[in-house]
Amino acid sequence: MANTPGAIPEQTTRTVVPKAPLLKRLRGQRQLMFMSLPIVAYILVFSYYPIWGWVMAFQNYSPAKSFTQQEWVGLKHFKFLLTDDAFLNVLRNTIAMSVINMVLGFATAIIFAILLNEIKHKFYKRTIQTISYLPHFLSWIIVTGIVASSLSVDGGIVNVVLMKLHIIQEPIMWLSVPEYFWGIVGASHVWKEVGWNAIIYLAAITSIDPSLYEAAEIDGANRYKKMLYVTLPGIKSIVIILLIMNMGWILEAGFEVQYLLGNGVVVDWSQTIDIFVLKYGLQIGNYSLATAAGIFKTVVSITLIFAANSISKRLGEDRLI
Amino acid sequence: MGGLKKKKLWGSVSLVLALSLALAGCSGDNEKATTKDGKEVLNITAFIGTPNQAPAKDNRIYKKIQDELGVNLEMEFLVGDLQQKLGVMIAGGDFPDLITADTKLVSAGAVIPLEDLIEEHAPNLKKHFGKDWNRMKDSSDGHIYWLPNYGVYTGEFISNYYSGPAFWIQKSILKDAGYPTPKTLDDFTTLVRDYAAKNPTIDGQPTIGFTTLASDWRTFPLLNPPEHLTGHPNDGGVVVDDSGVATVFADKDISKRYYKELNNLYNEGLLDKEAFVQNYDQYLAKISSGRVLSMFDQHWNFQAGEDPLVAQGKIGQTYVGFPLVYDTSITDHYLDRPVINLNNGFGISKDAEDPVALIKFLDKLMDEKYQKLLSWGEEGVDYQVNEEGRFYRTPEQRTEQDDPAWRLVNKAEGFYAAAPKLEGTFEDGNAIGAINQPEEFYDNLKPEDKELLDAYGFKTWSDFFSPAPENPVYYPAWQVDLKEGSDAAVANKQMTDTSLKFLPKAIMSKPNEFDNIWTEYVDAYKKIDVKSYEDRINEQLKWRIENWSVK
Repeated sequence: MANTPGAIPEQTTRTVVPKAPLLKRLRGQRQLMFMSLPIVAYILVFSYYPIWGWVMAFQNYSPAKSFTQQEWVGLKHFKFLLTDDAFLNVLRNTIAMSVINMVLGFATAIIFAILLNEIKHKFYKRTIQTISYLPHFLSWIIVTGIVASSLSVDGGIVNVVLMKLHIIQEPIMWLSVPEYFWGIVGASHVWKEVGWNAIIYLAAITSIDPSLYEAAEIDGANRYKKMLYVTLPGIKSIVIILLIMNMGWILEAGFEVQYLLGNGVVVDWSQTIDIFVLKYGLQIGNYSLATAAGIFKTVVSITLIFAANSISKRLGEDRLI
Repeated sequence: MGGLKKKKLWGSVSLVLALSLALAGCSGDNEKATTKDGKEVLNITAFIGTPNQAPAKDNRIYKKIQDELGVNLEMEFLVGDLQQKLGVMIAGGDFPDLITADTKLVSAGAVIPLEDLIEEHAPNLKKHFGKDWNRMKDSSDGHIYWLPNYGVYTGEFISNYYSGPAFWIQKSILKDAGYPTPKTLDDFTTLVRDYAAKNPTIDGQPTIGFTTLASDWRTFPLLNPPEHLTGHPNDGGVVVDDSGVATVFADKDISKRYYKELNNLYNEGLLDKEAFVQNYDQYLAKISSGRVLSMFDQHWNFQAGEDPLVAQGKIGQTYVGFPLVYDTSITDHYLDRPVINLNNGFGISKDAEDPVALIKFLDKLMDEKYQKLLSWGEEGVDYQVNEEGRFYRTPEQRTEQDDPAWRLVNKAEGFYAAAPKLEGTFEDGNAIGAINQPEEFYDNLKPEDKELLDAYGFKTWSDFFSPAPENPVYYPAWQVDLKEGSDAAVANKQMTDTSLKFLPKAIMSKPNEFDNIWTEYVDAYKKIDVKSYEDRINEQLKWRIENWSVK
């Protein structure tokens, strides 16, 4: 499967079907076309029409004026963003927290799915799975409430447990140490989403041909070897597809967690692009700056998704685009 | 490509259509409510910029308003952050009829000028705002956009109850120490220290000596004390000198002195460790637990945390405010004369279908009859009138008023707080709010409160403060509109951010590190365009002096 250096890449052969004229093909698929109309309209209205709003980023936009009265300022807002210390920090935080969430999210979900797959007792397996995905249905405001009270110095469970185990001497103010913030966000994400994310891998695992396991067993593979050489490669393509799809969200490190858990003390580590947009854009009525930051985010996301896609192509895996 | 397939397709399409029509039919409620005399009820949508609890569905007062004035109020209360909510509202371009005041909405052209409407259709409002008419005009275009909700007095001005800024301390501490009068910050912290040493836990939970709040826009509990401690009135982020020039004080030595004191408290374990990570709800919850000994705040801001204590009869754990200063040579200036609360209250949005009906409705509410209904309630139900025509409440009626759940069903508090209102006294001499009726105020005092006031020889809570001097014309500076998206607004945001980042760090540092962090803070502050902020404020103060002075 994988390309070793120097090996000749396999050629994918495709039977070339002569293309019928466009109109004829359209007519032939008219039911399909008809059915796709609502979706196309939906996307045009909700995903493409709003792009028009991007012109705001090049103006000093004021909602009271009509389009022709707006003052045009060129790239001023982009310059402000890229030279502002706070924004560069914000960018770092956004990327760092996204990468942490993504890597942790993937690794824990895959490991969890594989381990869960090894449990043969149906009742235990079901129970564990149900318990693990329940937090997914809680909203972030509840989760952050739980996180904040478990990390509290005032009888929060984390401090209590660590003290009882004599790992720490006195309670730690987890939420006021900037360096801990990314970790706390990452851990909260894992707690909330691991069970849910594992579902798709569990589904993928069930589609692996059982004869592969039998063959591996005959070859003398033990449990761990089977996980490593049969299960993992079996879900590789799913992992890659999900990775590409998630790449597009890399700058969506989130808003709620950081906004709800963040505070003045940790602001250098907690502020993400969305919070910056809220504070310096929406809250003080500076819509142009908010739009510029939004565009910036979109461009980076698109670049990343294409990069991921081409890497996957080189790996000889399925591609999304 | 048989006809059958086609039929199936059309079948499913029509099924979807039918379903969506049915669903749409469910959501449209076409029944029109009517008043007693059969007139159609006017629906008024209102957005109220404070996080009140929504009134009960069958609220008595709103029902009465609907029956008599033919107006049904559909109110939306704030959930989350106001600036975010307004920002989204502006971006979406969709506004309710009545909208909470915010200068951002003026810049966005979301509200309509009111002066002509008031002149033509609202005699009561015109009379009410008459002497403040010029102050209410927007400094940029001379229009009036807001109907301020507080600060316009008629008749006699009575203030028994103090809801402004102060250093608040639990009543039981005062009782325990034999009713002393702390004058300086040192006196105050000594009281707190002594009491905390004697009472390490309260109701089974660890005692918190002093707490503060810096969450969302509620940053004044942390940021404002230095101006008060130096004898300045509440001007927000600046102090204004005698010649009317405003300067930012957050990075100056007068601030350093206060935060150093908090640093001491922190290192002694008396300052709430979670003061800077808590949000407003957690802050209120902490206060209502009764274990917070003291804090700096404005009473209206922590009132909701005190209510449950009153309802549980834990009067000793409620608070008395003191006007602290750095040293006794400074005269305190906490108590100020009422000023009209500019940039607050209601405006009418450009989406309102019938602004005339709206203004007429608000005008009718300014009638004394409805003001009595909104503040006192219904005669015989919520209050009684004695032979001399004085209003009073029976003990049972007072108990009801203390119960937040009862108030949701029987009072129109959410709307009343945001609407323009009479303050002071009615024509018959009764105070407009029950709390301001002197005899009612005194009779309503809990025994513990009477004991406390008697011990100090005072009649009201305001007596703890120096009498308010005459306000300067421009006062207060915190009401200056910075203009949306301007350099001043950006600088203001950066200043707050910097303070919220460094002050907690400095306060929570080891005593010997404090000075270094303070220097870092001052350096960070220097990088901000503070001047544009000061300039905007000074320009506006000058404008006010020119335009508001009585000629």
